[in-house]
Amino acid sequence: MGYGYTGRILNVDLTRGTTCVEEVPAEVYEAYLAGTGLASFILHDRIPPGADPFGEENILAFVSGLLTGTGALFSGRWMAAGKSPLTGGWGDANCGGILSPAIKRNGYDGIFFSGKSEGPVYLYVKDGRPEIRDASHLWGRDTVETEETLIAETGGTATVAAVGPAGERLSLIAGISHEKGRLAARSGLGAVMGAKRLKALVLDGKRRIDVFDRAEIRDLSRRCNRWVRLQPPFLPAAPAALIGTLMRVLPFQMAMDGMVYKILLRKWGTGSMNQISVEMGDAPVKNWKGTNRDWGLGRSYSVNPDAVARFERMKYHCYSCPLGCGGICVDAGPYGRMHKPEYETVIALGALCMNDDLGAIMHMNEMLNRAGMDTISAGGTIAFAMECFENGILTRSDLDGLELKWGDSGAMIALVEKMIRREGIGDVLADGSRAAAEKIGRGAEALAMHAGGQELPMHDGRNDPGFNVHYSVEATPGRHTIGAQLYYEMFRLWTEVEGLPRPPLFYMKGRKYLPDEEKALAAAACSRFMNVANGAGLCLFGLFLGVDRIPVFSWLNAATGWRLEAGEYMEIGRRIQDRKQAFNIRQGIDPLSFRVPDRAAGRPPQTAGANRGRGMDIVAWMRDYWRVSGWDEARGTPGRGGSGR
Amino acid sequence: MSYAIGDRCNGCGACTRVCPVGAVSGAKGEAHVIDASLCIDCGACGRICPEGAITDPFGIACVFVKRTRWPKPRFDRRLCMACRICVDACPARCLVEAAGDDPAGPRPYPLLKEAKRCLACGFCVQECPVGAVAMAEDS
Repeated sequence: MGYGYTGRILNVDLTRGTTCVEEVPAEVYEAYLAGTGLASFILHDRIPPGADPFGEENILAFVSGLLTGTGALFSGRWMAAGKSPLTGGWGDANCGGILSPAIKRNGYDGIFFSGKSEGPVYLYVKDGRPEIRDASHLWGRDTVETEETLIAETGGTATVAAVGPAGERLSLIAGISHEKGRLAARSGLGAVMGAKRLKALVLDGKRRIDVFDRAEIRDLSRRCNRWVRLQPPFLPAAPAALIGTLMRVLPFQMAMDGMVYKILLRKWGTGSMNQISVEMGDAPVKNWKGTNRDWGLGRSYSVNPDAVARFERMKYHCYSCPLGCGGICVDAGPYGRMHKPEYETVIALGALCMNDDLGAIMHMNEMLNRAGMDTISAGGTIAFAMECFENGILTRSDLDGLELKWGDSGAMIALVEKMIRREGIGDVLADGSRAAAEKIGRGAEALAMHAGGQELPMHDGRNDPGFNVHYSVEATPGRHTIGAQLYYEMFRLWTEVEGLPRPPLFYMKGRKYLPDEEKALAAAACSRFMNVANGAGLCLFGLFLGVDRIPVFSWLNAATGWRLEAGEYMEIGRRIQDRKQAFNIRQGIDPLSFRVPDRAAGRPPQTAGANRGRGMDIVAWMRDYWRVSGWDEARGTPGRGGSGR
Repeated sequence: MSYAIGDRCNGCGACTRVCPVGAVSGAKGEAHVIDASLCIDCGACGRICPEGAITDPFGIACVFVKRTRWPKPRFDRRLCMACRICVDACPARCLVEAAGDDPAGPRPYPLLKEAKRCLACGFCVQECPVGAVAMAEDS
């Protein structure tokens, strides 16, 4: 056994109803870390090519980070991984809360579920001792009820991750819920859990994690915490929105420092961007065909962060997080207590659908959280259906009588209800926009804004082309949490890693759209760095402070006792990236098919608004990325050779 | 590494009752044993054993302390960042998150809710990354 990790995983065969503990050699951690790196190492070989995502052969992993429980800040992220039913390739999803330490406190770095149970079950692990229990009484119940019931019936101190009705009904956009409404939402892994008839994972462990040098970690954490605590007073929401306007009208841009975003996150959470993003052209409007002109300050005012904060009763922190970007809200609706809607949710169910009703957004957010359905994909799919309705591809009779006009919040709530229950048109839309477009036909495919089947998140690649690159090249397409030109600026990797380009402090906006070697290297560096972060269980928002302020590599060395340089950790990140891509190739995925749709790439470009005239040849950018990754430039297959660093 | 029970054990069962992970077993009146694979080194058994029969992982005999004299965690709100590490680290589950006042809004600060259940293990102190927790005897 080493330091920082437990060196053991728990394998659960749901078909046979058996569990077995597996020792993982230290070399695996040294090559792949824990978290998604460990999952990619194990799943690549054990999920056979062509495996049915809903079949017995698919494996669903719950993994904890290498730094979780060591005293490193921001290290509370856990990840689910498996073959995604939504994209057909590598699927992973990331979530905060307190499950990550709960996995490790039971003495495991991950729990891997294979097979399929006959009846509904849940796994209960108490102090490392696993037990598969019947969950018939919970089947069909929402995630909040399930969590409350399971905590109560296991003694009141357990930690739960569960699927809701969406996952049970195999909705391809279902996620896994934790802490009553935080979701490991993407890649459709909730449906994999539902297909395995695994209702929940219930953990109650008390072990401590052995750390090589806890004092050193504490020292590093204290220094990092000083940056987090540096919180000068900031503008109220209404004038703050004008920052976005200013960023739009200026012809040049300044390299972003993550401290600015940190201040916004601590004050308002991700919702701080609700208006700013629309103003600067980062938020997609009207199923990606609208612009900030369709959604001016007057329309977006209702969801401004101060308006959302009025419902907030307490800040929500994940495990080991000094920042606390989440919030617990209370409203007068039927649910009462709920999680504050995140930026992605507010835009997906708001601007993307031209809906400015904050009450409806919060209500739908809670409905989707309780059903265990991804709000990004649900919003994207509703926007797709709205445009289909506008174009006459879907009629009122197709929509079971719903008048699905842009911004009709009543119709949206009714549609969400149908999607959760899989009734009528909801049955078609519950599998996301790509599957729905295939069923609907009549040219609907052109309106589905997805990459490889996964709905695009709420950051417009026509504003920052780096988003489009990562939406298209990652093994899990359509993900906003891996990289962008903006993220590269904030990560400040060039301060620690040799050979990485340093972006200029000020630059003309047109520079962003020119593909070159530097941008490809920066994109590949973001992917590698996030693989290290997801192996360590770190949160993206902490990383935005920049590696010179958040000591990722020093924490890893202090936790494990290794003496690796930043560059060597980036090499680990590269190995994980290769492994995930190899998983996709093995599963028969054509990497080119993951490219973003023409509309999102600005082909043709928009004629008005923040991103007018902006477009990119996404395939050329993808090929650049593949080349610097050392992958086949024409096909995107990982292999030896190439100029990747 | 684990605590261990020596020859002086009289089988009173106090350690069995206090152990938060159920690592101690043994019949009443007979010598008890600690399962090393389950022991989390919290030391509660050592503090509660009236016979001084328990040794710590270094083989040093533990000293009995009256439970009312066991130190309890105190939280320094100026340093605390509401990160929930101590709440998670507590094997006795006697800490809860309580909304504490903060100029920028309430956050889930730790609170010793069930002081009687506290094992005085000090895990909250050891795991706090910013030194906001200290053990002190009740005054």
